[in-house]
Amino acid sequence: MEKHVVKAGQTLVLEYFILPGESRDIEVEVELAGPGAALELRGLYLCSSTEKVSIRTLVRHSVPFCRSSQLIKGIAGGKADVSFDGLIVVAPGADGTEALQENHNIVLTDTANVRTKPQLEIYADDVKCSHGATVGRLGDEELFYMRSRGIPEADARELQILSFLAPVIPSGRREELEEAVRKTVNGSRQDSL
Amino acid sequence: MTKMNNLLEIRDLHARIGDKEILKGINLDIAPGEIHAVMGPNGAGKSTLSAVLTGRPDYEVTSGAILFAGRNLLEMSPEERSWAGLFLSFQYPIEIPGVSITAFMKAAMAARRKAAGLPELKTGEFMKLLKEKMAFVQMNPDFAKRDVNAGFSGGEKKRNEIFQMAMLEPVLSILDETDSGLDVDALKIVADGVNALRTPEKSTIIITHYHKLLEYVRPHKVHVLKAGRIVADGGYELIDAIESRGFDQF
Repeated sequence: MEKHVVKAGQTLVLEYFILPGESRDIEVEVELAGPGAALELRGLYLCSSTEKVSIRTLVRHSVPFCRSSQLIKGIAGGKADVSFDGLIVVAPGADGTEALQENHNIVLTDTANVRTKPQLEIYADDVKCSHGATVGRLGDEELFYMRSRGIPEADARELQILSFLAPVIPSGRREELEEAVRKTVNGSRQDSL
Repeated sequence: MTKMNNLLEIRDLHARIGDKEILKGINLDIAPGEIHAVMGPNGAGKSTLSAVLTGRPDYEVTSGAILFAGRNLLEMSPEERSWAGLFLSFQYPIEIPGVSITAFMKAAMAARRKAAGLPELKTGEFMKLLKEKMAFVQMNPDFAKRDVNAGFSGGEKKRNEIFQMAMLEPVLSILDETDSGLDVDALKIVADGVNALRTPEKSTIIITHYHKLLEYVRPHKVHVLKAGRIVADGGYELIDAIESRGFDQF
């Protein structure tokens, strides 16, 4: 269990970057303890076989005028098991809070399993909070558009996955991710043959 | 003898989506260098025709045949059709957030050249070509870095389609309602692009329910599509007839 306290005026950046073959159990608690404290949390997972990835976040807005943003996006293929539990607690009196929490997933196979549970507990009046979670499949429209331009199906799927993950790719890790996506797409194609 | 020379031949084409038959026996021949207009009211099957030609997976051809440059088009995947020189300018171009126009076109060009047995273009050569073609359709060079169609206006999306057409140099271009939602200036840019890309070998199908684009890109032949069939064939005079009396006359 990872615990961070962010003081007034400071910004904490947390990045999680999980590639195929890696199982992870992340449990993180962040307290925004002084006015103007901020959290930027970005997470990316790419699972292609039997990985288990669990991410639990607890973000406490204890005082007024703090900001938190959590964006977690991932791909679940093979027989991967992914779960996200996020809780934001806005304490009484923590007015001027801005909190955002998003978890979006794409499943590549019927055997992959994704559970996502974003939650808010708000005890203050003047807050801006939003949360959202989705589990979807790769869109047929985008795929067809790319294929109609001559991009082969596997390459188009790679581009689609990279495009979905783009907002959470840590700087300098793009090439590594591209390689992993290529392998994942080829693997899931062979599975379906 | 003339049959051999057609770029596209559609024979008694029937197609459906789900249980609904939309095309009910289309026949169409397009010779190299010709511009054909396919006009018709909403729901006539115009977009289904372009979907079937480009191989959209959700449309099913139940009978009939399509020959493209002598090949059985219906046996080819969407990407193979593109490599063979078919291009569709989408009525509603798709947004691909996270994929830049440069990355998108690089993937498309690389696949096309690979299919033709050509080496991939060097980055410098590719960027030069990209800039030339963007200038050609009067697209702001900053768009090269932007994500494909993401946040583009209607006119910008259509211009991006014509840019892609200029990059890929198709033999047969299908412009599906490319004129809809365009103001006159954007329409002229699209029309100039289409006209400038013309060669004696290249053909174009303009699908529209509106005559405006056809004033700038004059078709050789005009077909009226209604309820899944071509109900009239002719020349420019058909457009005048539609202008004055609508599609009900057919």
